Parts: sequence; C-alpha cells; structure tokens
Amino acid sequence: MPEQSFEDFIRQHRSEFEQPGPRPALWDKLEKELAPKKKGKVLQMLGRNWLKVAAVLVLVVNTIVIFQFLQMKKQAQVATVSPELQEAGMYYTSQIEKRLSEIKAYPPAVLGLDSAARKELELRNDTYKVLETELVQNPGNERIKAAMVRYYQLKLDLLDKILDELREKQPVKPKQSNYESEM
Amino acid sequence: MQASANNLNQTIITDHLVAQCKKGEVRAFRELYNAYSEAMYNICLRMTGNTADAEDTLQEAFMQIFRNIERLENAGSVTAWIKRIVVNHCLSHLRKKKVYFEEVDNIEVAEEKAGMDEDSFAWTVSAIKDAIQDLPHGYRTVLNLYIFEEYSHKEIAAMLDISESTVKTQYMRAKDKVRQIIKQKNAIR
Repeated sequence: MPEQSFEDFIRQHRSEFEQPGPRPALWDKLEKELAPKKKGKVLQMLGRNWLKVAAVLVLVVNTIVIFQFLQMKKQAQVATVSPELQEAGMYYTSQIEKRLSEIKAYPPAVLGLDSAARKELELRNDTYKVLETELVQNPGNERIKAAMVRYYQLKLDLLDKILDELREKQPVKPKQSNYESEM
Repeated sequence: MQASANNLNQTIITDHLVAQCKKGEVRAFRELYNAYSEAMYNICLRMTGNTADAEDTLQEAFMQIFRNIERLENAGSVTAWIKRIVVNHCLSHLRKKKVYFEEVDNIEVAEEKAGMDEDSFAWTVSAIKDAIQDLPHGYRTVLNLYIFEEYSHKEIAAMLDISESTVKTQYMRAKDKVRQIIKQKNAIR
C-alpha cells in the first residue's frame, strides 16, 4: 500500500495539530497595556499624523515670526523716520491742507481745473505715495528725506500760486464754513 | 493569498466590531482577541518552538494589531491582516535569534525523490509534531508557512527575502528531514 503523502496527511488531520490557546493571563497583560492608550487618544492621534502636525506647526511658527518681524520692522521704521522729518511733515501738511481747503472753497467754474488736476493737487498724490514707500523701505536715506521735504515745499508753492491767481480772478474771499473758521 | 485561519472561534468579525475597536473600546478588542488568540497562538508556537516565546510574540503582535486597527479597511480582510502581523512578529523573533534564511543550491532536491514508497510507513500526528520541532529553524519556518499557514511559495519567498526556488528546495528538504527523523526514531524503538 503506497504511503499517504505528507501534505494529504496533514490536511486530513489539521485540527489535531492545534493546541489550546494561550494562558488567560495574557489578555490581562494586553488589557493593562491598552488602558493608557485610551487616555492618550489625542496624543496618539497627533502621533499618527505627526507629519501633518509638524507641517502645520512650521507654517504657524513661520507666520508668527514673519508677523512679528514685520511689526518690529514697522516700529523700527517709525522710530527711524527722524523726529525732524516728522515735525516738518506735520508743518507742511497743515499748511498744504489749509491752502487746499481755501482752493476747494472756490466754485469749480472759477477754479477751472478738471478732476485729474484737482486730484493731483491733493497732498497724498502718486508722487507722495512713491516717496512714502521709499522712505519706509529706506528710513535712513537722506536723499529720500530731502526729496520728501522738497515735495512738500513745491506743493506749497504751487498751491500758493494757484491761490494768488484765484484771488486775482475773484478778489472776494470765498466764504468759509463754520467748521473752517473754527480751525 | 491562500492563507486561511484554521480553528478560529466562530465569532463573526463585523464591520461594527472593527469600528468599535477603532474607537478604542476595550470590550471590542477583547472580542477580537477571543476570536483569534487560539489560532494565532498556534502559529506562534509552531514558529518559535516554545510556549514562552510564543506568548511573548503573540502579545507583541496583538499590541500592534490594536494600535494599528485604524489601518484595517474592512472586516472582510481582518483574518489575513491579523495573521500577517502575527507571522511577521514570529519572523522578527527568529531574526533576533539569529535565524537567517539564505539562498540554497536547488539542483539536488527539486522534486520529491522517487522510490520513497519502498520503505513506507504510516504518518502520525505526534511523530510529525515532534519531528518538526527537531528541524533546523530555517527548514521549520518554510515548512510551517507552507503546510500549516498555507502561504504560497511565492509569498514565503517575499516574506523571507529569498527566491521562490529556494523556498521550494527548502520545503522539500524539510519534508525529507521530517521523514528521516521519524524513521530514525522508529528504528530506535
């Protein structure tokens, strides 16, 4: 009688090769190890997604650092825009605003300027904005400071000339509003 | 994968149970453990060769199963998934014990030798179990993975990082060795 093959024999008696399971104490050990897992669920979740967490942290830290850097820079710039320039700026600004309000009191027909020209007369025109940006970026640059002062002076001269012409055209001083007279 | 879990308790592993495990419910983990511990313990016992190592390996494997249960997509693949983790832990345990799986020359033993039936004998469960325990680790691992855990030669080759032909050769040699051991023991009696 030929020998039964090794594989066939094992397949036929498969269950007889099995032994009872592990000692019950093994589950107790596992249960103990499972317990802290539940407590640290958030940490575990962070652990599983550590790469995402790290990426978000880097972004947040970068944002904070950049924000703080910009704040510091801004503060430094304000401090660096020298007090004398600030003082000059305040003086010229008040003078320019005063003349502009006088000019605006004239009727448009007398004024004879189109809207683009009137816009150009304003203190904060494009030239002013360019200079202001340059000054913020290069707070210590004397040439830019000088250019800013020159801008104020030219603007004031121009407004004075316009006012002179307007007074010649219409000698009667335009009526000021109560608000302006109080200023 | 050919692998199937033998002697599993009849607990039906449902998607609901898996979902409860994913929530970290200890009761659900226990149910899963009860369903698989016996079959998985037998794998560990066959692979490691002793009860102490088998329990340690089983414990480590179940901890990994519980920790990584999130990765299990559905209850349908739970058996193969758990079994693979257990087998991987057993293989890690063997590697720690410096058991290496190396390529072998497969010229000599490619097929079952002819003429084996000449001095045939009846197999017995206890004789086979004892003989397998006497096999060198490498042979025993290949034989267990193929005949008991029902992995294919190809799958075993991938697990052990050796060629498929080496797996086939080692399996044939292991089988021959089992026969020789049983014959020797029978001769002594």
